[in-house]
Amino acid sequence: MSNEQIVSEVESLNKEYRYLNEVSIQESSAKGKLSGVCVSVKDCIVVKDMQSRAGSRVLTGYSPVFDATVIQKVREQGGTIIGKTSQDEFGFGSFNTNVGLGLNIPLNPFDKTRCCGGSSGGAAGLTQKAGFHHIALSESTGGSIVCPAAFCGVYGLCPTYGLVSRYGLMDYANSLDKIGPMAKKVEDVALMLEVIAGYDEKDSTSVKHEKEEYSSFVGKDISGMKIGVIKESLGEGVDPQIASTIQEKIAVLESKGATVEEVSLPLNNSYSLAAYYLIAMCETSTNLSKYCGMRYGKHESLEGSFNEYFSGVRSEHFSAEAKRRIIIGTFARMSGFRDAYYIKALKVRTKLIEEYKKTFESYDVLISPTMPVIAPTFSEIGQMSPLDHYRMDILTVGPNLAGLPHMNIPAGFSKDMPVGLMVIGNHFDEGKLLQIGKVLE
Amino acid sequence: MQITPEIVKKVASVARLKLTEKEVKEFTPQLSEILDAFSKIDEVDTKSTKMSIQPVELRNALREDIPGECLSVEDALKNTEHKKDHYFKGPKVIE
Amino acid sequence: MKFSGDVVVGLEIHVELNSETKLFCSCPRKEKENELPNSRCCPTCLGMPGSKPVLNKAVIDFALKLCLAMKCKIAPELIFSRKSYFYPDLAKNYQVTQYELPLGSEGEVALSSGKKVGLTRIHLEEDPASLVHNGGVQQSASVLVDYNRSGNPLAEIVTKPEMNSADEARDFMKQLITILGYLEVFDVNNGIIKADANVSVKESGYSRVEVKNITGFKEIERALNYEIARQKRDVSEGKTIAVETRGWDADKGLTYSLRSKESEEDYGYIIDPDLIVTEITPDWIDRINAEMPELATEKLKKFLDDHGIEETTAQVLSKDKKLAEMYEAVSSKVDSSLASKWIRRELPRVLNYQKKTLEESGITSEHMISLLTLISGEKITEKIGQQLINKLGEGPYDVLDYVKKEGLSVVAGESELEILCGEAIQEAPQAIEEYKSGKEKALNYVVGIVMRKTKGQAKPDVVMKVLKKLID
Repeated sequence: MSNEQIVSEVESLNKEYRYLNEVSIQESSAKGKLSGVCVSVKDCIVVKDMQSRAGSRVLTGYSPVFDATVIQKVREQGGTIIGKTSQDEFGFGSFNTNVGLGLNIPLNPFDKTRCCGGSSGGAAGLTQKAGFHHIALSESTGGSIVCPAAFCGVYGLCPTYGLVSRYGLMDYANSLDKIGPMAKKVEDVALMLEVIAGYDEKDSTSVKHEKEEYSSFVGKDISGMKIGVIKESLGEGVDPQIASTIQEKIAVLESKGATVEEVSLPLNNSYSLAAYYLIAMCETSTNLSKYCGMRYGKHESLEGSFNEYFSGVRSEHFSAEAKRRIIIGTFARMSGFRDAYYIKALKVRTKLIEEYKKTFESYDVLISPTMPVIAPTFSEIGQMSPLDHYRMDILTVGPNLAGLPHMNIPAGFSKDMPVGLMVIGNHFDEGKLLQIGKVLE
Repeated sequence: MQITPEIVKKVASVARLKLTEKEVKEFTPQLSEILDAFSKIDEVDTKSTKMSIQPVELRNALREDIPGECLSVEDALKNTEHKKDHYFKGPKVIE
Repeated sequence: MKFSGDVVVGLEIHVELNSETKLFCSCPRKEKENELPNSRCCPTCLGMPGSKPVLNKAVIDFALKLCLAMKCKIAPELIFSRKSYFYPDLAKNYQVTQYELPLGSEGEVALSSGKKVGLTRIHLEEDPASLVHNGGVQQSASVLVDYNRSGNPLAEIVTKPEMNSADEARDFMKQLITILGYLEVFDVNNGIIKADANVSVKESGYSRVEVKNITGFKEIERALNYEIARQKRDVSEGKTIAVETRGWDADKGLTYSLRSKESEEDYGYIIDPDLIVTEITPDWIDRINAEMPELATEKLKKFLDDHGIEETTAQVLSKDKKLAEMYEAVSSKVDSSLASKWIRRELPRVLNYQKKTLEESGITSEHMISLLTLISGEKITEKIGQQLINKLGEGPYDVLDYVKKEGLSVVAGESELEILCGEAIQEAPQAIEEYKSGKEKALNYVVGIVMRKTKGQAKPDVVMKVLKKLID
């Protein structure tokens, strides 16, 4: 396909489904693993000279003067960048409905009355609909890769924390953010991970992990693999049809020679949601302070004192959900409260990681549904309180909080909507996830 | 804990957010409910537990003290609408 | 806290460390000549979305030296936090600093009186940008911001409130500058040093007032003297001293009340999740210990006890690392009292006249050893010695060659002179008689004979002295 054809397809898709905040082609002159591949980029990853807003009006017009490390790597491997995909503002949501003021909400590729999932909703929708060879660069803080991948029926892999450089990622919560690929085929997920993984001296939280050939795991036999099915994820509050779809897939894994047992993660089931949201909100409330109409993004005319000016810009251009998270995060780290909320959450996180680590002594991977529901309709979402909304992440926040790699695998359909299976691995066990992904194709 | 409209307004002002009365009214019960739910972590015994600042064990990322390249002044100022004589222009610092 | 002094002062001092690059990015730290605003910046120190910090190793070395020199306990881990507040000079509207666990704690610094001032903590943090107010802070409708300084490494040193006068505070600053100079972690000529002082007086019941932003150590004394006098005067006029934060206006020479709101900010510290823990291992501390220079206090003790030089001279020499080191090198070859006298007085006189630092002058200990060996061996007169050091001030040259070439050396010592003087007395009996009868001047004729015999390279006053000794 020529660039013109790609642009016209993306633009017509965008008119109907609103997957991109910015359609813009940047070709690479290099030849490599991604030659001929179109790469869409979640809006929160900076691309030099391409408006990058992290889905927020406060960043209107921000034209980065540098590339994120993952973008540099995509260019070096010959990938063509096609634009910035829609997301919840700064990643603040599970349905891609908390978009920044004035930005569009993407529609589910299977049913336009339903959401794409979030926060990487645009990436998932586009991955499902694109008729050309496409891989999405998406990002997860608490489930933002696997959730939309599940709702849109594509593969999405969130790698181990620190495996992929965050340099150039506009932070939601620095100790939780991970960039990862989304694609229609497992092979493409592995391919993109091979390109973007690796130590980066520009990101202090980047891990010096030996380079792996992720593609070599795709198609590898899983016999003898020990799989734990997370008991709590298939019980109360989970759509029975989703549970039965997952059970069918578990039977497939057993038939391929894996041993499957039920495991329980009681601490994660009870406390991961609260610990995750507290840490995420505390961190994000500091990350968002820089947006004040001085150096980039939305500006107003310079009037009043700095307090009045900053408050004016911030109150005008952050959406309601951003304000809620800033307020909760600011509160939870204020003197008098920080020990009970912020510090406590960091300690609880240790306990939750220990629970996973202990489980991985006996199992290679863990399995659960990705989401307890199929993609909700916009009117259903409208009925939810913010807390209801947060509770949707119950299955995904655990591996995110623990920095564990996890992947959504399309597992079937319920009421004609995609159902996702989530496979979670120990730190740096991305290969095993890809093995399972291919087996269940 | 009981979140009052006053607390919401106070915290918002620390974060340089000026809320409308409508927002205060909407946020107050929401934040109360959320913080109540989050208080659940109180139940976990963490007396002898260390904090996990990051989820994986990370130590010692240090840079040698060797100067690197800077941005051009044009690039440094490219994204601001408020500039003058190579300076950023900001709001006045006295109330 | 229970206080007993008439005046109680504690200091918080920010010292810009002397690294090549900034604390969290590789932009050069040092100001360049005629640099443009915002020309020494990158995405990190401008706080651009997507940028990330990476810690400078050398800065930790410098801070560890500082901690060791001030006898601090050193934390096993270095952790940074985000201190949140909104201000136009902060690129991210938070400052990366240390909160929970400072790098150094429980240290001390000795004043020149011998009194020890305790330190609460030493920690690292990043410098904000510089602000330019067109037409003054009060009038300016907007502020101009230059991020060139943004992200420069600062060490913050916090003392206990253990000083009891402006004079002691100033002395503390002087001791601090001496230590910084010895450690070579601070650019004494161009580096930035700022202090906030908390000061209270007995009369007010020790109501604590913080005076912010005092630049340079000489200003400390002025600001504190003003503030102490103000508090005492206010109390005597029946006013209460509010616990508050005040600014120091160096131009007007007074402190003024800052809005109370500015000091009430809730900083909401979190540990910076973009940075990771740095382990300060015993090996690392050992390495720094091995690199530690002998400090001024140690040198002073050595100069007094082992070298036996005069106390004021020993103090002057030990304050300045370069002078102290030169003295040590020279005194290993030359009499220590001569070496200390010349390095304390003559050398600084010449440098001062030439407006040069010791490095700039190119004068080495070898130059001084040559020069002083000639003087102590009485090969040249002190007067010639002064001419030679003046010439060294203009530019280095080979002292011995020059003296030989110009024939400046004294021909003989006193024993040799005695023989020549004896001859001259025999040759001029009439002049000797006149001298003996009371005509002092008659001896000049005999001196002349001796000077001719030595071809002018004897010291006339010495000749006179020898003659008198022989005659009497």
